[in-house]
Amino acid sequence: MVNSVIAGLTSGGVYALLGLCVVLTYRLVAVVNFTMAAVGAMGAFVMVSLTDAGVSAWLALPVGVAAGAALSAALGAVLVRWFGGHGQNTKAAVSVALYVALMAVGLRLFGSTTTGAHSFPRPFDAPVFSAGSVVVPQSALVSLAFAVLITAGVGLVLHRTRVGLRLQALSEQPSTAQVVGIAAPRLALVVWVVIGAVTTLVILLVAPRLGGDFSTLGKLINTALAVAMLGAFRSLPLTLAGGLVLGCLEGLSAAVEAVQQYQGVVPFLVIVVLLWWRSRHEVWDTAHSR
Amino acid sequence: MSVPALSLKDVSIKRADVPVVHGVSLDVEPASVTVLLGANGAGKTTLMDGIAGLARTGGGTVELDGHRVDKLPTYRRAQAGLAYVEQARTVFRTLTVEQNLLVSQTGDRGPEAAYRLFPELDKRRTLQAGSLSGGEQQMLVLGRALVSGPQTVLIDEMSAGLAPVVVRRLMRAVTDLVELGIAVLLIEQFAHLALEIGSRAYVLRKGRVAFEGACADLRDDSARLHAAYFGTAQPHGGPGPADRPRPDAAESERP
Repeated sequence: MVNSVIAGLTSGGVYALLGLCVVLTYRLVAVVNFTMAAVGAMGAFVMVSLTDAGVSAWLALPVGVAAGAALSAALGAVLVRWFGGHGQNTKAAVSVALYVALMAVGLRLFGSTTTGAHSFPRPFDAPVFSAGSVVVPQSALVSLAFAVLITAGVGLVLHRTRVGLRLQALSEQPSTAQVVGIAAPRLALVVWVVIGAVTTLVILLVAPRLGGDFSTLGKLINTALAVAMLGAFRSLPLTLAGGLVLGCLEGLSAAVEAVQQYQGVVPFLVIVVLLWWRSRHEVWDTAHSR
Repeated sequence: MSVPALSLKDVSIKRADVPVVHGVSLDVEPASVTVLLGANGAGKTTLMDGIAGLARTGGGTVELDGHRVDKLPTYRRAQAGLAYVEQARTVFRTLTVEQNLLVSQTGDRGPEAAYRLFPELDKRRTLQAGSLSGGEQQMLVLGRALVSGPQTVLIDEMSAGLAPVVVRRLMRAVTDLVELGIAVLLIEQFAHLALEIGSRAYVLRKGRVAFEGACADLRDDSARLHAAYFGTAQPHGGPGPADRPRPDAAESERP
């Protein structure tokens, strides 16, 4: 049971990271980014294809991360250039279309669930320590530390640096941000590049445990969006906590035989309960009228 | 003759494919206030948006200090020395007063310059801008324009919804900007207040320049001002351009 929760914590760290990337993209460039996990998977598969071809992992890693960042930048450029003046719904719809296209291309290039499983490097597989039957792998700590680092780091950058303030201004009032001289398109592109690079690293972290096929990794966006909802698409600490809670619940449900087969429903049960809790004081007519 | 700080030649602008501004030419001289008047719907705000790059100009040229900027995106025009005080008190509500100022700072002129212009803001520097009163928010937007180090400032209806005493305070601040060598293009509902501090005036009617001349000419001749606004002589007791803020006008303090 404890082992399952700890395994869940490993996933939790990764879920938190993915949720953080979704929340950041939404907050900073106002796009619900459905392509994120698929972009990270593309970068990860560029890396693993290189290592399969005999390239050293130390060389393949930066190339893979750069590929993820470049692809993310290209998608970001499409959204900034052609859909910059459109509403969030349109941008979300465009990102869904791009997600479908990316998944199709990825499956074509890297194979499906049954044919495309690659062997990803497992640098963090060794246990940090074990007490009795409980084993804590390095990957659990690495993903947790990475998630905490990103939450704290982003908070610091947003509130303590000039670039962070400009990013906040851009997310709050894009048109006025440009009026005061903020180079909005360039800044948005930087956000897309960073999100692409970080997502590639996160996907590389989780790929060995999930079987290493493109389809499974690309579809991690479902969980990422669920975690982002836990953070209300706004709060970074809540997103971090949400990812960890979701991971632990998933681990717990894997350990209890009676609910094992309903494991996939866990994120959505959490979301439903949370949405109900948040809206408990709302009056339907005023809260949901258009 | 010196190069105008801002010069428009034959500028036309459409909004949603509807022509709003037709062939407008105007000059704003350095270190002076140029007043842009006109009835509601005359195209004043659209013209300002076109100068700032928020609306696309369909024809003509916009020059800042002799350099064409009409093909540049909004932020490049701002970096070229154009500040725009929009109509709706556009503070960044979640940022503090100081952070609002830091966001637009480009050169040596820091938040202290804005605090010298409006000492009221100094006491509020750590407050979120969204919690300020309407008047303080407008001061912050003017202060933010100042710290961006502009040569030209566009100001659109900064008095909307504010108490008379605040409007006069803001008008004094506009003359302070001029003393710093900044050129101002001012849209103002209270025509006479604007004409008191302005040197040159343009009146727009249906998107075209209907009057161009010295502010003094309009200030002293309300019939002429009315004719420029509406193209007809002033009917007895009829509606006209707003004169001065009524002393009993309530200030909108909605944060």
